Amino acid sequence: MEAATGALEPGGPAPLPAALPHGASAWRRRDRLGLVACWAAGLLLCVLAVSIVVFMLVKGIQYLSPDLLFSHPVSDTDQSKTGGFLDPLIGTFILTTVGTGLAVPIGVATAVWLTEYGRPAWLARAVESGIEIVAGTPSIVLAIFGLLLFSNGLFDFLSFTAQGGAVFGRSFLTAGAMMSLIALPLVFGTTREALQSIPAHLREASYALGKTKATTIRRVLLPMSRPGIATGAALGMGRIAGDTAIVVILLGATLQLQGVGNAPVLGTLRGTGSTLTSYVYNNSPAGEGNAPEKAYAAAFVLLLIVIGLNFAVDLITGRRRSRSAWSR
Amino acid sequence: MQRPHLTAALALGGAVLAVAPATAAARPTISMSGSTSVAPLAAKLARGYLRAFPGKVGFRLAQGGSDIGVADVARGRVSIGNSSRDPKPTDPGGLVFNKIARDAICVATNRRNRLSGVSQATVKAIFGGKVRDWSQVPGAGIRGPIDVIVRTPASGTQDAFQKIFLEKTTVTSTAAQKASNGLVAQTIKNDPRAVGYVSLAFTRGLNDARYQGVGCNLRNAKSGQYLGTRNFWMVTRGRARGAAGRFIRWVQRSSAAVPIISRGWVPLR
Amino acid sequence: MSAAAHPDPAAGVATERTDRRVELTLGALASFILVLIAGMIVFVFAKAWPSFAHNGLAWFGAGGNVDSQLGEIFNSPANPAAYQYTLHAWPLLYATLLTTGGAVLLGMTFALLSAVFIVEFAPAGLARALQPVVRLLAAVPSVIYGLIGILVIVPFVGNELIHQGRRKSVAYVVQLSGTSLLVAVLILTVMITPIMIAIIVDALRTVPRGWTEGAAALGVNRWRVMWTITVRAARPAIVAAAVLATARALGEAIMLSMVSGSVGFAPNPLDGLTFLFEPVRPLAATIVDNAEGLSVKPFGQTIYAFAAILLVSSFFLSFAGWAAKQPLKRYAGRA
Repeated sequence: MEAATGALEPGGPAPLPAALPHGASAWRRRDRLGLVACWAAGLLLCVLAVSIVVFMLVKGIQYLSPDLLFSHPVSDTDQSKTGGFLDPLIGTFILTTVGTGLAVPIGVATAVWLTEYGRPAWLARAVESGIEIVAGTPSIVLAIFGLLLFSNGLFDFLSFTAQGGAVFGRSFLTAGAMMSLIALPLVFGTTREALQSIPAHLREASYALGKTKATTIRRVLLPMSRPGIATGAALGMGRIAGDTAIVVILLGATLQLQGVGNAPVLGTLRGTGSTLTSYVYNNSPAGEGNAPEKAYAAAFVLLLIVIGLNFAVDLITGRRRSRSAWSR
Repeated sequence: MQRPHLTAALALGGAVLAVAPATAAARPTISMSGSTSVAPLAAKLARGYLRAFPGKVGFRLAQGGSDIGVADVARGRVSIGNSSRDPKPTDPGGLVFNKIARDAICVATNRRNRLSGVSQATVKAIFGGKVRDWSQVPGAGIRGPIDVIVRTPASGTQDAFQKIFLEKTTVTSTAAQKASNGLVAQTIKNDPRAVGYVSLAFTRGLNDARYQGVGCNLRNAKSGQYLGTRNFWMVTRGRARGAAGRFIRWVQRSSAAVPIISRGWVPLR
Repeated sequence: MSAAAHPDPAAGVATERTDRRVELTLGALASFILVLIAGMIVFVFAKAWPSFAHNGLAWFGAGGNVDSQLGEIFNSPANPAAYQYTLHAWPLLYATLLTTGGAVLLGMTFALLSAVFIVEFAPAGLARALQPVVRLLAAVPSVIYGLIGILVIVPFVGNELIHQGRRKSVAYVVQLSGTSLLVAVLILTVMITPIMIAIIVDALRTVPRGWTEGAAALGVNRWRVMWTITVRAARPAIVAAAVLATARALGEAIMLSMVSGSVGFAPNPLDGLTFLFEPVRPLAATIVDNAEGLSVKPFGQTIYAFAAILLVSSFFLSFAGWAAKQPLKRYAGRA
């Protein structure tokens, strides 16, 4: 039998590890090549990760200054007068909130319906495929679909009508609506996982006590799935904060937050602005700006936000594993 | 129970949010889009207007290119379209072009290529693709193939450049298209063999190729010596009315606007 | 305790009704997704139809400079009867195929080898450290990859790797600067690999230990065990990872618009190595670059036609992923 190791070679057992790890000096050449390839890939991965992180860290610290964080961006040809990125920073927070705020109810509702009800069966399968399709749709397609949809007169309340009578269609609300589609599959996925991991005996206990299905969902299942929902929400927030295509197309591309009318909250939401991602894009050599230093600084802040959100996900999932241990 | 309180609170909050816009006096917003060359001037003028009449209006400035501005204002998407090119016969009907300033287009190269004094024939040959290497250009400071940088079709600067500098010559298809003045400037700064054209306000850090031997600066543009000048327009659908009309008339007629424009462009008065 | 905790038997009907109402509400919310997708298909295709109708199958073919064709469409006269629609989008489609295909091939190799490394060959500390690192890389926004690309990699490629001779050889057809197919594929690979690694590592870890230990007991070496048993067993996940990565690569617009060149050029493999340095512009990047022109009717319709192609491709990918996983389902079982 052409065994893979040299254990059955004439002359006794093969020598123990000499030059290569895992005793690979006794392997055939092809296997050794595979080992080397794996190590090369692994090391390359480390090098890549370290260099990206270190590079962004260095550039960020080099160019980030507190006044950048707290001053408004101003459009000017003279780069020393263009201000900071306070508005884009606020814009990122607003957009993330709106997007997640829309995604969580719909995502949780869909997940609940799918796991607890799910009738008729064809509809359930269709909804599942639908979520997968939304997850796979490129955000640029969602963005111009959003533009198409919200430029319709029906949705005038979401943005504003320009002086000429056409609906502008670009605002935090419209961008947030499309962003929620980005976060939706993530919220749906983790919520469904959480719901499915709740053992049947808990549901049965609740029914045995005489509670209706609706009450069981509300009082038993949803509270237990809260970590899962939170994980999905945090993942969704991370993806929303990092998306640029939808912002570039659906947020109106004004440097500062410019609200519509005088309502404090609704006005800003119906107005235009920018986010860190579009600010980085515009200040890079690909946009109108011409300020790579500010782009690095904003990119660094953006990276910190995204890392922070992922860290939050870790905290939540860590807690989840210990909390649901009692239900096994 | 907690739920009725929560629902009541939400209803109240929603009502406040909904009622507020109706009762507040709607401050008109002047939205502009269009030329990337006009954009810095428009931004400065907007700030000047807000200083002169605080709290009266809001501004919203987007870019995209002169053709975008014209198309947007024709469809009623914005109040004013900024254009750095003259009206074309293919423009949608019903538009009024209000001239606000004049601007110079400079032919620029990288600082390493101290090209100075380029004639119209040379410009036509370079941008038309007849001449492809710097060694064939008299006065060029470097060697190698020429990287021609132009603007995208939506650009008014591109239109103006075509009309004033190139006349009948068409731009070579190998030219790299960039979407804004800033992008052209950036590309020229990074590429020693590049040549392109930018609005006067974007020439910092670049070498002015001195079209027809005349330096591309504000003084020569004002005096008329520099021939590569073009008009800046604020386009409206029909006669400029309302808040947008007041702003345009302020730009064109008020004495407060002249020093703002003079900083980098040629005022009309 | 709520009043519903001890329902009165006579109220059984009422609770049934609330249950039904809740089910219907939730079902309606869930079906919202389907309505949205249907709406998206209808809207986008309706808008895109004139562009396809005017060009027929030639839309997908080659012929002329796609950038100047787009320019003509944008500058169409205002009269609807005279709208320009002529477009031969092959350079854009070809660019999309090249960047996506190249990135997925490279990425899949890299991801598979890295995943095997993490699961099997890495020292314990390194493997533990790599987990959050991979997740971090997966979370980095695409605009940051684009920024590093355009500020670091593109100038490097443009100034160091592309020599005069190479430039001269294609000067009559296209300008070579740093933005090129090479940079696009490399950065796209780095973008899609972390997700693939995460999925494949998860799958490799769930292969039953009994299988691997049994093989080891028979004397199979670690590499062979990993390759012939574990990786084989994880094939559904590998397929899923590939599909996910392809979808991500296809839809990547921002990063590619920053580094791939913004020129609608079809690179010529016959140019040899220069092929890698030629600029491209995939479909998604074209949409982003031209998004402001949407208000010009025929131009907008052309852009929506590009979006329609992307939409169809992503549907096709979802379906292909599902179909590819079907025959492999029997490997996903537990021992």
